[in-house]
Amino acid sequence: MKKYWKSTEELLELKNQDQVQKVSEPEFSFEGLTEDEVKSGVKANRRDFLKILGFSVGYAAVASSCEVPVRKAIPYLSKPEEIIPGVANHYASTFYDGHDFASVVIKVREGRPIKVEGNELSSITPGGTSARVQASVLSLYDGARQQYPLKGGNKTDWATIDKEIMANLDKVAEANQKIVILSASVISPSTKKLFKGFKTKYPTAEVVYYDAISYSAMREANKLTFGQDNIASYHFDNANIIVSFNADFLGNWLSPVEFASQYAKTRDLTNGRKKLSTHYQFESYMSVTGSNADKRFPIKPSDEKVVLINLYNYIAKKSGKPTIKVNRSPVKIDNLAKELLNNPSKSLIISGTNDVYIQSIVNAINYLLSNLGSTLEFERELLTKQGNDRDFEAFVKEMNNGQVGAVLMYNVNPAYDYYNSAKFVSGLKKVGLTVAMSQKNDETSSLAQYVCPDNHFLESWDDAEPYTGFYSLTQPTIRPIFDTRQGQASLMKWAGIEGDYHSYIQKFWEENLYEKQTEFLSFNDFWNHTLQRGVFEPGSGTKESPVYDFTFFDRAGNKLGKAEQSTGIEALLYETIAIGCGNFANNPWLQELPDPISKTVWDNYVAISPNFAEELGLEQDDVVKVNGTLELPVFIQPGQPAGTVSIALGYGRSKAGKVADGIGKNAYPLSQLKNNTRQYEINGVTIEKTGDTYSLATTQTHHSMEGRHIIKETTFKEYKKDSKAGNEDHHELKDKLTTMYPAPDHPGASWGLSLDFNKCIGCNACIIACQAENNVAVIGKEEVKNRRIMHWIRLDRYYSTDGNGVNKNVESDNPEVFHQPVMCQHGDNAPCENVCPVAATPHSKEGLNTMAYNRCIGTRYCMNNCPYRVRRFNWYRYIDNDEFDYNFNDNISKMVLNPDVVVRERGVVEKCSFCVQRIQETKLIAKNEGREIRDGEVQPACVQACPTNAFVFGDKNLKGSKISNHFEDDRSYGLLEELHTLPSVVYLTKVRNTEETGNNNSERMRDEFAS
Amino acid sequence: MNYNIPKMKHKLFIIPFSFVLAFFLFFTVKAQDAPPEWSVCGACHTIGKGRLVGPDLKGVNDKYEEAWLISFIRSSQTMVKSGDKDAVKIFDEYKIPMPDNANLTDDQIKGILSYIKNYKEPEAKPAETTPAATGGESSTTTATTVTSPQETYGPGNTKATFYIFLVLLFVSLIDLGFTRVLKAKFIHYIIILTALFVIGEIVYVEAAQLGRQQGYSPDQPVWFSHKVHAGQNKIDCLYCHNTAMESKNAGIPGTDVCMNCHNVVKTGTQTGDVEIGKVLESWETKEPIQWVRVHNLPDHVYFNHAQHVNAGKRECEECHGYVEEMDKVAQVNDLGMGWCIDCHRRTNVQFEENGYYDSFTKYHQEIKDGTRSIVTVEDIGGTDCSACHY
Repeated sequence: MKKYWKSTEELLELKNQDQVQKVSEPEFSFEGLTEDEVKSGVKANRRDFLKILGFSVGYAAVASSCEVPVRKAIPYLSKPEEIIPGVANHYASTFYDGHDFASVVIKVREGRPIKVEGNELSSITPGGTSARVQASVLSLYDGARQQYPLKGGNKTDWATIDKEIMANLDKVAEANQKIVILSASVISPSTKKLFKGFKTKYPTAEVVYYDAISYSAMREANKLTFGQDNIASYHFDNANIIVSFNADFLGNWLSPVEFASQYAKTRDLTNGRKKLSTHYQFESYMSVTGSNADKRFPIKPSDEKVVLINLYNYIAKKSGKPTIKVNRSPVKIDNLAKELLNNPSKSLIISGTNDVYIQSIVNAINYLLSNLGSTLEFERELLTKQGNDRDFEAFVKEMNNGQVGAVLMYNVNPAYDYYNSAKFVSGLKKVGLTVAMSQKNDETSSLAQYVCPDNHFLESWDDAEPYTGFYSLTQPTIRPIFDTRQGQASLMKWAGIEGDYHSYIQKFWEENLYEKQTEFLSFNDFWNHTLQRGVFEPGSGTKESPVYDFTFFDRAGNKLGKAEQSTGIEALLYETIAIGCGNFANNPWLQELPDPISKTVWDNYVAISPNFAEELGLEQDDVVKVNGTLELPVFIQPGQPAGTVSIALGYGRSKAGKVADGIGKNAYPLSQLKNNTRQYEINGVTIEKTGDTYSLATTQTHHSMEGRHIIKETTFKEYKKDSKAGNEDHHELKDKLTTMYPAPDHPGASWGLSLDFNKCIGCNACIIACQAENNVAVIGKEEVKNRRIMHWIRLDRYYSTDGNGVNKNVESDNPEVFHQPVMCQHGDNAPCENVCPVAATPHSKEGLNTMAYNRCIGTRYCMNNCPYRVRRFNWYRYIDNDEFDYNFNDNISKMVLNPDVVVRERGVVEKCSFCVQRIQETKLIAKNEGREIRDGEVQPACVQACPTNAFVFGDKNLKGSKISNHFEDDRSYGLLEELHTLPSVVYLTKVRNTEETGNNNSERMRDEFAS
Repeated sequence: MNYNIPKMKHKLFIIPFSFVLAFFLFFTVKAQDAPPEWSVCGACHTIGKGRLVGPDLKGVNDKYEEAWLISFIRSSQTMVKSGDKDAVKIFDEYKIPMPDNANLTDDQIKGILSYIKNYKEPEAKPAETTPAATGGESSTTTATTVTSPQETYGPGNTKATFYIFLVLLFVSLIDLGFTRVLKAKFIHYIIILTALFVIGEIVYVEAAQLGRQQGYSPDQPVWFSHKVHAGQNKIDCLYCHNTAMESKNAGIPGTDVCMNCHNVVKTGTQTGDVEIGKVLESWETKEPIQWVRVHNLPDHVYFNHAQHVNAGKRECEECHGYVEEMDKVAQVNDLGMGWCIDCHRRTNVQFEENGYYDSFTKYHQEIKDGTRSIVTVEDIGGTDCSACHY
């Protein structure tokens, strides 16, 4: 029998005793408040209670006799035609921050953007989003944005700044000095044209692209081996076998939202699909992608190349291509290689390491397996990553040599995220004119002479071309909140280009894209239509698949096969799902988003495997010094390879704003330049124990389900034999459940939700979508430690291992991982409903377990009685409270609140409502149109946000609806259905493409390592 | 129940008045009987009260041929363009083109014309004066199904009852403990118990009213009279509150809506140019008028006008009372949850008419079988907490 555990402590308990012991604390102590709160609070006895009671009654009487405050109703002077107060408008737009891309739809209420949703018309990110895309709307209202232009750190106005910058630029140009536009990746064709326009005015200008997370080696390798100076587009949905080396393609790598949606298609077993891809993951830290792999192999970063070359050699031998001399692989790859050869053009090998040689070998393998044109292609080029490490290195050198006359920085922050920021800073000081165009006066902008604050994307016009021939438009949904100006507008002004950027884009589209379609006869129609849809996808032209240039092997010489010698401890720096490369650090939603794997919030840490930590004498929360500079706490992470550590990037900001500053430590300085590219794998790291401890806030033991059989899985082999595999007890139970109570009566709709474990990748987008939609409070690290996190939907992460006598080393070194989103299950026979003394949580006619906040008196009986632990209590007033100085505590951030959902007061219980406001809204639309609700028309926030369509929501009473099919699927089961709570949420059993159930990877891994 | 007696009396007292009133109302409505289409015309035209946006229509029947009038009403601009002499003359005088009414049938237009022809000045009608003269606050609406504020409580009576029973309580307590005038103790007990019950009931009912604003009628920054606009000029509610059909908010009209008429109508019948002046000032200074909100719901209540007006086909006055008879708008109902629920229990939904309800197969079957005759709002979940609280 497989055992599931959530933390190493829990695993120990599992080992020491046969039955499950309670390692998790109750979600709230029985006294209610924590010890500190009791001690610091007023001690009250019965008399005090009576006094307070008397006072409050008296106060209520006095207060009620006063007049009700006068409220004003102020109309528009003249109402804009498109705005109806109380009704949301939706505008198609595009999210791109130099890092992530998504075509989105913005929900706007009375002129305030309040929610970002996926644009279903996009073929690239069809309706999907990520946690960061969802949270981007809160960044619009970030009070830490630079609110006016700065000159030498002092407030100035645009006229002055323009005059001076233009004068300076002219001077620099006259002196024939170099002007550098230093920019993050740009995918806007109009902006690229604008850069050219700028060059016409200032011929000495050049553009240097710089990305904090660089993919420069990939482009270089493609150029060297395929003759293509760009990045291919990947089609995971065409692959039967996916092999990833340190590429977190479901979380961060290249285009995760798109890849997640493709990946889920290969894992889909609904609608009678009987095919499942196999996913191998070789990685040096536990990533979201690795947690979904069928076969996961923890390897040291230095071993990646060795494994890859061995794999290549095996395949090359078969096709008579030259092999590369290399050490023996630490992992047996024969079976994998055989499988790959058996699936020609149906596999995909990728690597996330920014190394030219590794990427060249990956290219060779893909080429030999004839994957080009099938699972990856160069016809459609991925344009979102344009950073060039060589160019940037050269630029920093030139700056230090005094060869650069002016630097215009757009959307970059190298003073924070460059590995040698001191050198960048010293170089910058030697430049005559430095201008920063970013949204914040951040680490880099504050060094510039002029700061020209940029608009947020929700305030801007822009276009985007993430792939060649695939266009997406950005349109403003609000007037600039502060005195800011879009970077492009600034450049136009300085380059002396007439008009505004909006008309500049229109002109570009009219000249270049209008001809690519035949549907519209006037440009105006074409433009309006495209703007409404958000996307325009004429597609890329056809191009022949490139041929791999094997002469590269000779040119590369012995460098190609030379593996780095592992010295001491190896480290890997990675991006988290929440913070990414660091530009979202000041977003409180994302800071409080539990990491999908570690479940830690508000910090970064040094992740070490349990055994390696034991070896080093380290425990969780011990503070260590990495390389003698970086002091970080230790986090014990099962699945981390032995001899390695991993550290998250993006933390340790110093000038990002009140939320991010001082949270975690900056790990960018650890990254290095190797083979002329920036690498995030470091060899020979030292770890010293400082003796201090630092307490991390992690939610992984919160809301425990006490080891009940709530997650079900099987193997594909078993599933093919019997579609009920792994879910036998549900089918046994189904007929046995009886009740004396009448069956629930749902005359109209009966809402239900299903979650397909085969598609859920644990990306956390649903959590942020829910938070944005339902005004869920951010409560800060201390309160999270008190187990009071407010998220209505949580993602439980389970590790699993065979509990029978396998030694601990293997178990926690490479456990299988399981992600389970849990929200209110809306049981038709919900135990919480009966115990409420004031009937604040009754059942609705449509099967919703409703919550009337104004009625709740906070007894928390319902929380005690909830078997799923999905109810949350408002221990404090989180709005307008200086103790919780996040997005609920200032008037600008509060603009993001959804006006259709109540902001809960202190002392009431809250929980998932199935987004009842959306249900009601859709019902009303249907009534006004005099028709029934269509299947799939109601989409709660989590369902809408999901990039993989793992959720399905709908009316169970509607015959033939997707949801009713899911409820009848053999894989479906309800959580704790043996309690007869009759949940309205079902989960579809996970089917892994592994050989045997109960015999997990780790054992095989051990064998393979031993061999 | 003792306590109910004054309330009953109060009601009985009203009954004769109601009959009288109902009689008058009946006749006044009969005599005026404006066709529904008139509400559109009435926004810009008067009959015998001078020029508004468009000309005064008094005597228009004698001035032009009926056929000419019909085609002019349907599309005045077509006639102007075709060079009709009269049409061009009118357009030159008034400058503002009259919107087309292509959807009106000949009979409908004839109905409007005969209404204009037979129109009599309303001043002479008793309906305008009687309520003010006789009924005070309570009587205007008693004859109809719309609830009046006074139907629930007469504030003066409650107070008196409360104090009377408070005194009774104390007197009997004192007598029981000290003076002992009455020998039979059970009388004390009865009085004490009754008094406690009545006082308790009053406290309960009054407490439930806390924060509610029935009868609330604040002064507005502009002395705007719904009686003049909606009553006398018969402007449709939805002309100004035009988002009620599609939004949760009925919408307070912007100054631009006022200006549709008031860029021509610059003096009012009651306040001269003082109040209209404020509207013009708002337009010139580009500062919206800051109206005082009369109907307030607590933040934890979600109310949607479109749901009630559009989907539910409710009339405005069912909740707001006869606003067209109010100079200053007052909140007629208490807008409490009991009042909402009460209506949700009584009211039938558009079950057969609206295709939305096709999915309620169970009820359709029951109706077919004859076991169900009506489907109320409650039956479809209209009393669930989540209908209004989320």
